[in-house]
Amino acid sequence: MRAAAIASRIAAYPRAGQALIWAGVIGLLFVAALVPQFTDRRDTINLLFLVYLYVTLAASWNILGGYAGQVNLGHAAFFGIGALTTRTLWAEEGFPFLLAFLAAGLASMAFALVIGVPTFRLRGVYFAIGTLAMAEALRITVGNLLPNLSALPGPIIARYDLEPRYYLALALAICTAATVYALPATRVSLGILAVREDEDAAQASGVNPLTHKLLALALSSLFAGLAGGLFAYYHVSYYPSLPFSTTWTFDPVLATFVGGIGTLAGPIIGAAFFILVRERLAVELVEVHQLIFGVLFIIVVLVLPGGFVEAWSRLTGLLRFRR
Amino acid sequence: MNLEPVVQNLVFGLFVGGLYGIAAVGLSLVFGVMKVLNVAHGSLVMLGGYATYWAFTSYGIDPFLALAITAPLLFLLGLALNLGLFRFVTRLPEDDKIKNSLLISFGLTLVFENLAIRLWTADERAVQTSYSGEGFTVADIVFPYTRMSGLVVALAAILILHVFLTRTYTGKAIRATSQDWEAASLMGIDVQRTYVLAFALGTALAGVAGALVAVGYTVTPAIGLAWTLKALVVVVLAGMGSIMGAFGAGILLGEAEALSVYAFGASYREVVGLVLFILVLLVRPQGLFGRR
Amino acid sequence: MHIWAWGIMLDVHAISVAYGDLQALWEVSLRVQEGEIVVLIGPNGAGKTTLMRAVAGLQPPFRGRILIDGWEAQGQPPHRIVERGVVLVPEGRRLFPGMTVLENLEMGAYGRNPRRLREATLRRVYEIFPVLHERRDQAAGTLSGGQQQMLAIGRALMSLPRLLLLDEPSLGLAPLVVRDIFEVLRQVNAQGVAVLLAEQNAQMALELAQRAYILEQGRVAAEGAAQDMLQADHVRKAYLGQVSPIVEASK
Repeated sequence: MRAAAIASRIAAYPRAGQALIWAGVIGLLFVAALVPQFTDRRDTINLLFLVYLYVTLAASWNILGGYAGQVNLGHAAFFGIGALTTRTLWAEEGFPFLLAFLAAGLASMAFALVIGVPTFRLRGVYFAIGTLAMAEALRITVGNLLPNLSALPGPIIARYDLEPRYYLALALAICTAATVYALPATRVSLGILAVREDEDAAQASGVNPLTHKLLALALSSLFAGLAGGLFAYYHVSYYPSLPFSTTWTFDPVLATFVGGIGTLAGPIIGAAFFILVRERLAVELVEVHQLIFGVLFIIVVLVLPGGFVEAWSRLTGLLRFRR
Repeated sequence: MNLEPVVQNLVFGLFVGGLYGIAAVGLSLVFGVMKVLNVAHGSLVMLGGYATYWAFTSYGIDPFLALAITAPLLFLLGLALNLGLFRFVTRLPEDDKIKNSLLISFGLTLVFENLAIRLWTADERAVQTSYSGEGFTVADIVFPYTRMSGLVVALAAILILHVFLTRTYTGKAIRATSQDWEAASLMGIDVQRTYVLAFALGTALAGVAGALVAVGYTVTPAIGLAWTLKALVVVVLAGMGSIMGAFGAGILLGEAEALSVYAFGASYREVVGLVLFILVLLVRPQGLFGRR
Repeated sequence: MHIWAWGIMLDVHAISVAYGDLQALWEVSLRVQEGEIVVLIGPNGAGKTTLMRAVAGLQPPFRGRILIDGWEAQGQPPHRIVERGVVLVPEGRRLFPGMTVLENLEMGAYGRNPRRLREATLRRVYEIFPVLHERRDQAAGTLSGGQQQMLAIGRALMSLPRLLLLDEPSLGLAPLVVRDIFEVLRQVNAQGVAVLLAEQNAQMALELAQRAYILEQGRVAAEGAAQDMLQADHVRKAYLGQVSPIVEASK
């Protein structure tokens, strides 16, 4: 009896902490939802749009890279295919936007599954450099096939409004994060985690590594493709090969590692930090930002494999210990 | 059919291939000995290019003579990188070692690239010597002096490396370490010291490759990733750790690219190597790297 | 117990070794005196290889001490231990397969002193293993199993050891070849090199050795003179494949 009472009192502490975190999250979302109603500053809206786009990219990369342990350096290919699909269907063929947007996710996922079966034969670092080579080959090919600038047609530009783009980005980021949040509760995710820890052992205990890796890949590419569709919806003009550029792989990888790989909060915090620091430094020189993140990244890999999230839990752990 | 342009193309393919070879050899050496995948290798090539450019424009030193300065300079940089960074991963189990080295060197790529933009701006640089653009002609086939000398330098560097690895005690210790580091340590070889040396040598070789890039082609801060991929392609074709093989595979890739122009057009040159690379990786899932 | 005139060369004092969370040795102690042959027997997974690797510096103990001529060897890297004249012929031979026989032998003489004397040592090794001389320019990976084991021992001898550690040298070899290898160990020992031999082939090993340790589940289960071990009931049953006549009859 007494032991149970003490246990419940101890358990109440983290529960109170959790409630606080939830209140914070909901409050933040509330503020985010209201921002366009209170400000007309395009720079603020654009900045937040970028944050949401990067959260989606980083969190979707994290599904395969963090949870399934497959370091995918070809994430840009999914993003690019999504952008290409939406842009073609919506801006050129005149399909309704929503249809073109969903098609981006499906096209990206279909492509991912087709290449997934052969590339998952590559393990560890070979998977990383194989996917990088694949994405680069795709980028060059798209650049060759579609060398001309893709600009939105006049009627669309005339009706261009930032607000729906802002809300779509916010919704997509929330959807991605919610999926990652819901994931650990499922049996599938246990299999995915098992594959990350030890592929052979997972197989021995009846988990099919390929199926689980493909599942993680499907989710990861779905959201990356949708992010690409969002990019096509947002940008007025760009070269079709731009969304295939390695930047769209490397930036989310940096954000995820710095924030905390394999965690829910890591990619979100990392992406927000990444964009805000970049914005802050854009006034001075852009390269300083990359320099800082390069160094931060190395530090994280060497001494703090859990990124900001681990740093935070160590810090609070230390405080709790002091008390 | 007029074969002249084809032959000319093959000759250029040979020159470019020699450069691919020398760029890949350093990467292969480092991976073979340390099982460290240094994707910043291309950035080291870039730094070698800038060092050559700097020696030429600031002090008027001929780019080929400047190798006597740039190669040792990069060797020292390699020492520093190993002692400051890679030393911390070489003690990990092999899988973690490869993965962490990939990540660290990826961070390094960003650091070097943006440092180079700060120091030298993002403009294209190339060394223009008095004999640049000149060459001799045999049966209407042109042999530019700079690229010819580039191939000679690459061959000489490979030959020196080969003699070092097969004829000297230290070189043999490097080979022994690459084949079985534990057994090597049981022979009394200080494995960590061998790693430092191999990494510094690999960096110096990247410096040599960089000098040749600066002379025959152009250098910008952004070329790092492209050269890393190029070197990786070559190394996978050859089988990781195979030094002479990497050079041969470099020439093979150069010629394959030269010939691909006729099949797919010049704009797909870069794709050919990447597709070849993916195919080889898929045919041998663990890559040609493993000895299995 | 008989007191040896020479000093104790290797003194392993209560070492414990673990691979991650998995402990493999519990406070194992063992001694090898100058010029002695000591054999380590025990079933698979008893920790023989771990003990050998600990002494050679490949798997440092988390507790306990390893003294080589009184020098604290625990936690030292392998190349320092070779310098002290203790060299391991590892399980599975671990040659450099892509290097020639001669290059493998040269690697054995890597240390400063052995390198200076390597021509003379090389002649001695070729005398012991003439086949290595015949095949000196052949890649080590192309040798037969027996020849590979000879090369592994020859390579270790190149470092001029005073204590030779051998981990399962008879593994996977034909009986005749094993006899040759054991004969070589006797020869090497006659020249003053102490030998610590981990072996599953208990009969031959006990006949060769002066003293023996039995390792079971990471602990020393018994130690004593090799002759006594050959007679001991427990050893005969567990390691010599001999059941007592009474049990035999009752079948």
